[in-house]
Amino acid sequence: MKKYLKSVLVLTVISVTVAVLLSVVNQVTLPIIEERKNAASNEALLKVMPEGKNFTEITDLSSYTLPETVTKAYSEEGGGYVIELSTTGYASGLLIMCGVDSSGTVTGATCLSSNETNKAEVSYGENFKGLDSQKVSEVDTVANSTKTTTAYKNAILDAINSAKILKGESVDLRTEEEKLFDSFKEILPNAEGFEKEFISVKLFGVSAVYKATNNVGYIFMYRDQPVATNTLGEVLGDYAADVIDEVGKQAKKHLNTKLKDIDISGFSNLPTSVLSAQKTDESYVLNLRAAGFGILGDSYYGPSGEYIKIKVSLTKKGEIISCVTVSESESANYGAACKEPEFYNQFEGKTEKNYEQIDAISGATVTTTGYLKAIKSAFEAVKVLEGGQ
Amino acid sequence: MKNAKSSSIFLKGLIFENPVFVLVLGTCPTLATTTTVVGALGMGVAAMLVLICSNTVISLLRKIIPETVRIPSYIVLIAGFVTIVQMLMQAFLPSIYELLGIYLPLITVNCIILGRAEMFANKNTVSKSVIDGIGMGLGFTVALLLIAVVREVLGQGTFAGLPIPFLKDNPIAFFAKTPGGFMVYGLLIAVTSALTNKKAPKKKSFGCASCPSASICDANKLREEA
Repeated sequence: MKKYLKSVLVLTVISVTVAVLLSVVNQVTLPIIEERKNAASNEALLKVMPEGKNFTEITDLSSYTLPETVTKAYSEEGGGYVIELSTTGYASGLLIMCGVDSSGTVTGATCLSSNETNKAEVSYGENFKGLDSQKVSEVDTVANSTKTTTAYKNAILDAINSAKILKGESVDLRTEEEKLFDSFKEILPNAEGFEKEFISVKLFGVSAVYKATNNVGYIFMYRDQPVATNTLGEVLGDYAADVIDEVGKQAKKHLNTKLKDIDISGFSNLPTSVLSAQKTDESYVLNLRAAGFGILGDSYYGPSGEYIKIKVSLTKKGEIISCVTVSESESANYGAACKEPEFYNQFEGKTEKNYEQIDAISGATVTTTGYLKAIKSAFEAVKVLEGGQ
Repeated sequence: MKNAKSSSIFLKGLIFENPVFVLVLGTCPTLATTTTVVGALGMGVAAMLVLICSNTVISLLRKIIPETVRIPSYIVLIAGFVTIVQMLMQAFLPSIYELLGIYLPLITVNCIILGRAEMFANKNTVSKSVIDGIGMGLGFTVALLLIAVVREVLGQGTFAGLPIPFLKDNPIAFFAKTPGGFMVYGLLIAVTSALTNKKAPKKKSFGCASCPSASICDANKLREEA
């Protein structure tokens, strides 16, 4: 017992002594380190707002409703603001400082620190000097760092909006999708959220269908106007008689869609990309696989070995009704963008003649090419299935 | 007699048992910080400071620390010194602090420091341990500098940041990267071996008796009982 007592005592005394020594040194060095950080910060403030005078930090940010990315804000004598933001590109910890003058124009932007892989953010800030929010949205992202530069761009927009809010103006911080869903909630109040539906049969006049996530009804975008229905497809609310009529018809058509499985082994000419197929009286639903970077890539890190899985519905005449990327294992900053609705929604309404007229994923040629090949094979598959071979 | 012994301890650390070229300890920070001369100097001096402090204190306490808590005590002490050096550097030499990055706190687990604590400081007097610390520390620093000079001059065409006319425009990137570092390291080990051929350290015994953990090792107890 005594032997262990001595051990415990010795270790405790050593630990306590070291701790005391550390706290003493810390007391001495901490103020110096803090001051250095502040000097570096001031230097950064001048870098993004060279004409700025007298920066003061705004300490009670919680009294404003600012975008989530804002971590610090400084007001400047001439009515400008410098905003510090933290966002996530490929990795978290993308720290950006952006100066916005009194007219809402960006005076400068710089990246304070980051954990990104391709380092595109180091000089990307230069692109925003002198731009207002409209022109900022139009700045191109960098091809091999889409996630990084998209996050950077959005942070700049947040900075411009924050400057407006700090000045006392009200700004709508909702994303386009949030605004859309909020407008849906006005006509379908019980809904909690919305999800875009995959449409298997061509609906007349209806460009998109959204389902309420808590199963209280649907929203049909009829000639660019949202129309709410209940779960049976009956239109809710007041509309013109012909609208109620038509939407009701289309809703019932969508909700009563009956899909029949097709035995694809009976079709010898069917493209190998087709994994399975179903049909309705007037359309086909195909599950395809696309050989993107995951299969064909040859980078050092090795391809994932996974195909991209796509679900697409086409009319018998070969017009795409809906297209969605079900799964992918492409590279995160590059081909993974094929999982974004902005990409796959582009194929809606396309036919064999114009399916290539879409915005490719910049920096992800192998992915895009593989995807397009799969889409082309969908058109061929419809012909084969129609031919009954 | 004492002076002769002191100078032999010092020379061992610097040349004949140079931690980098002969004992081959601390390889990781060696390769990481020798891309620039300034970085190598910063790392060498920081490690030397920690080594001297840890050797001193561990030698002072060598009769007080019981076997059972030997390693934890050493680690606490070494980590404490490294943190102090870290804080001082962050406050007074921020550019070198940034340059060394994560390798500064990694001095805590640098084999040289724990190695000398186990092999020397816990068996020798304070004054000898201090000299060993200075010798090994200087040996580490000089070794790092030698590698760094080659790698920076050839790999980047600069010396301590100052550009060298012809080489700056024709750098050999190989030396700035890890494979080049390994190559320079290996060649310098060969050079050192050739130079110290006649005075090589005694072949280390590998049996239980010379192992630092002999007194608390169960396997050793079984061997002794057999």
